[in-house]
Amino acid sequence: MRQPFAPRTERAFLGKYRPKIDGRDKARGAALYADDIARERSFPGMLYAKVLRSPYAHARILSLDASEAEKLPGVKAVLTYKDPMVASLKRTNAGWTDGVDTVSFRKMMWGTFRDRCVLGDYACWAGDEVGAAVAAESELVAEEALSLLRVKWEVLPFVLDPIEAMEPGAPLVHPDITANNVFPADPFGGGDVFVDKGDVEAGFLASDLVVEGRSVYHNATQNSLDNWCCLVEWVGDGLTVWSNSYATDQTRMHISQMLGLPIHRVRAVSSFVGGQFGRGDTGDQPFFLFTALLAKKSGRPVKFRHSRRESFHDSRQPAIYEAKVGVMKDGTIRAMHYKSVGNAGAYADHTMFALKYAPKEITEVALAHVSDVRFESFGVYTNKLPACMMRGVGNSQFNLIFGLMIDLVAERLGMDPLELCVRNFGHEWESLPDRSLERVLEEGARRIGWKEKRHLPGRGPAFEGSKRRGVGFSCHPAWHAEWQEVRRGKVQVGMTLNPDCTVMLKAPSVETGNGSNTCNVLGCAEALGFLGIGVDDIHWSATVDSDQGMKDCVQTDSAVSYLQSEVMAAAAVELKDRLRETAAPVFGLEPGELEIEGGRVFPSASPEAGMTVKELLSSGDLAPITVFMSRSPLAEKTGVPYFANFAEVEVDTGTGRVETLRLVVVNDCGTVMYASGAEAQQVGGQCIGLGEALTEEIIYDRATGIPLNFNWIDYHIPTMADMPDIEPVLLEVWKGGGEYGACGIGEGTVTCTPRAILNAIYNAVGARIDEIPVTPDKVLRALGKV
Amino acid sequence: MPSEDPRAAQSRVIRIRIRVNGVWRDFKLGRDFSAPTTLAHLLREKLGFTGLKVSCDEGACGACTVLRDGKAVLSCMVLAVEADGHDILTIEGLPDDDPVVEAFARQCEPGYGTALQCGYCTPGFVMTARALLDENPSPTMAQIKEALSGNICRCGCYSAIAQAVLHASETITARGRAR
Repeated sequence: MRQPFAPRTERAFLGKYRPKIDGRDKARGAALYADDIARERSFPGMLYAKVLRSPYAHARILSLDASEAEKLPGVKAVLTYKDPMVASLKRTNAGWTDGVDTVSFRKMMWGTFRDRCVLGDYACWAGDEVGAAVAAESELVAEEALSLLRVKWEVLPFVLDPIEAMEPGAPLVHPDITANNVFPADPFGGGDVFVDKGDVEAGFLASDLVVEGRSVYHNATQNSLDNWCCLVEWVGDGLTVWSNSYATDQTRMHISQMLGLPIHRVRAVSSFVGGQFGRGDTGDQPFFLFTALLAKKSGRPVKFRHSRRESFHDSRQPAIYEAKVGVMKDGTIRAMHYKSVGNAGAYADHTMFALKYAPKEITEVALAHVSDVRFESFGVYTNKLPACMMRGVGNSQFNLIFGLMIDLVAERLGMDPLELCVRNFGHEWESLPDRSLERVLEEGARRIGWKEKRHLPGRGPAFEGSKRRGVGFSCHPAWHAEWQEVRRGKVQVGMTLNPDCTVMLKAPSVETGNGSNTCNVLGCAEALGFLGIGVDDIHWSATVDSDQGMKDCVQTDSAVSYLQSEVMAAAAVELKDRLRETAAPVFGLEPGELEIEGGRVFPSASPEAGMTVKELLSSGDLAPITVFMSRSPLAEKTGVPYFANFAEVEVDTGTGRVETLRLVVVNDCGTVMYASGAEAQQVGGQCIGLGEALTEEIIYDRATGIPLNFNWIDYHIPTMADMPDIEPVLLEVWKGGGEYGACGIGEGTVTCTPRAILNAIYNAVGARIDEIPVTPDKVLRALGKV
Repeated sequence: MPSEDPRAAQSRVIRIRIRVNGVWRDFKLGRDFSAPTTLAHLLREKLGFTGLKVSCDEGACGACTVLRDGKAVLSCMVLAVEADGHDILTIEGLPDDDPVVEAFARQCEPGYGTALQCGYCTPGFVMTARALLDENPSPTMAQIKEALSGNICRCGCYSAIAQAVLHASETITARGRAR
């Protein structure tokens, strides 16, 4: 057995190693996902929808004749871009929400540019949903109907590369929004220069040494196995949508506002979701809307599901970063300048968030002690698939350059890069060194064997002739402390105490797998410790239904693990008060004269004279006691903890193949809410991190702009055979506000992996590769062998 | 692909029989299936065995794994007609105390995390592991990795899954001794 983490404070339920609460249902295939629920058996007369996709990277529909498709037996409804119910839909964008807060059409982020038409006549990438959607008796008939559409296309010149897209004369993707493909300034994202602290130019002049670097992050995608789907059924003038969306409240708001329905006429239901990872972290997905319109037109329930190929519908924002760092001889970083160009693809989506918002959050924290800092960034439209949210949004791209600069500067100074980090990075509310960063790096270094294994670049011993080994690391500040979640707005929780002393917990949050459901039940048991109940006495519903009238704590930002538990801690105090009030007349005492502990109610003055809570509640009117609490996250700025990944790799200098031998993943969590779940995030995140570092990449045909590998044969996701030994390390050094003071870790577990591996490769062979994924051809080129 | 012409279906009444989880089931061409219908589709949509998942629908992820005559097969790559006369076991057909199911559900020891997160790939992994352990009740770690490397878990629970298979193997061995 491996070494378990040691909690700072021993608690009855939180912080333990235990099975996930839905482990058994999932292991025996009994958990029902949207695609399982929405079947013909449950929805007789159900139809299947398919949507026309552009075969060209950039094109306009000149005309579309649907008459043959409409005649095909089994086709029940065809919608085209000319249909008034489609043509009248407002233009939209991905900024309905970045997933955390519920927002209206008017309040959406990036509202200054709305670049998406629902089922319009203009295609911006090869795969864009345009022109028409059909509903038919089966998916096969729906597909056949699409093939019968007679479409005349005007094929337009296209551009894939963001640098080329910025040049004069390049094809314009959204000429009505920008005349050079570069995003306009936006209130949320800012202008091109979005951080400008001190004077970087003066800082570089004053520095003893100035180092420059470059990194290129490619376009991996989320690859949730549970392809996105929905079923819409109209009853009267309202609709119900069952889906595997990660959010219900925002789905309801989105449909309500786009289709002009009052909120109470839209019911959104989500249950188990087969993986989120930032997939479609947006409320604007047009498929909900055209499915709803097809259901209305046909008068039947309609289901739409993306095929696996169609599920490549958004990616991480590819970003090219250039950086310049000025440093003093003693290792004090004086000035930093980062410049990035992000390839947004066909639609802006949350590119601005990744390029500007996220790095700005980090800058304010980690670089608080660097006097001169400038960040500038350009989001650029191209005709690639749109870039949206993905686990580690913005931070993964930034870490690739951040960790490179640390490695480069340390090498030039002849200093240990760990020491360089501790000397410079922390957060603005404390002086350096930052205790969290220090401990995270110490622990990671010890576990990977940093001192023994790190050698001069390319100077280590050879293995089996041509193989070289090296170690590297990268670190990052967390961005999911409670104060950073304030934008989320209210977090809502309800607790109902039944007469038999069991509890119905209402902590709506869609179960996407990350373990927050278990955190919620453990948090509830912990908060209700005075009832003397266990985990099995608590019911938490895996179905989130907007008819409950509560806002779901949206499954993004890695923070659901503690946000609802914090509110539960306060709700439990109120529940205890209600229970005292119920008991007071029974005991003939004032509520304040009663105490509740270990499942017993008793007079404070004579503890032996009490009764069990169950006896108390069973003797009355049997009405359950319900409390409801709605509270904003605590805004007190408590700083953030750090995390780091350490990697050991072996590079075959003959073939260029990189094998990752070991990964050590260290997270300071503030408080570990659920140890097995947290370690599952640390270990599990490496599938994405390692994939992005070494194998995952969408490849386009440069001649046509068509993506070539929208499948899992040619787009390689790591499997068990590819994974190294991974050691998860949980720490509790920093502490945030509130009862537990925890910090989300899920997203961050992927963030440092590519850079840690790239630095390890450099340590192994002494040649740098600045572009991921690091495929063998890049290694051989860096070694001068091809 | 075009749908089956209903007139052709009427003129060639073809039935297939498949034994699913111990029960023989009859299917009629046209009514229940057409030429391109996959076994995965038949099991999920016609019989309601939704434990298996159709994710890639092209044999790349393993989420639809079932056992055919005791061997793990990808049900999205098996045509319904190819299953005619065969014995199919889906995850719903495993006994309540199946050691593989139990091991996946309980996995939580320090250092590995849980063997499942979102759970979408889990039934496929369980069935693949079941086939492995039926053939080799005491596999080495290398054999486990080889057997399960055709399944994708995007949540990345690979090391805990391998541990769960080891624990299931121990339970099977212990139960064998007890008998």
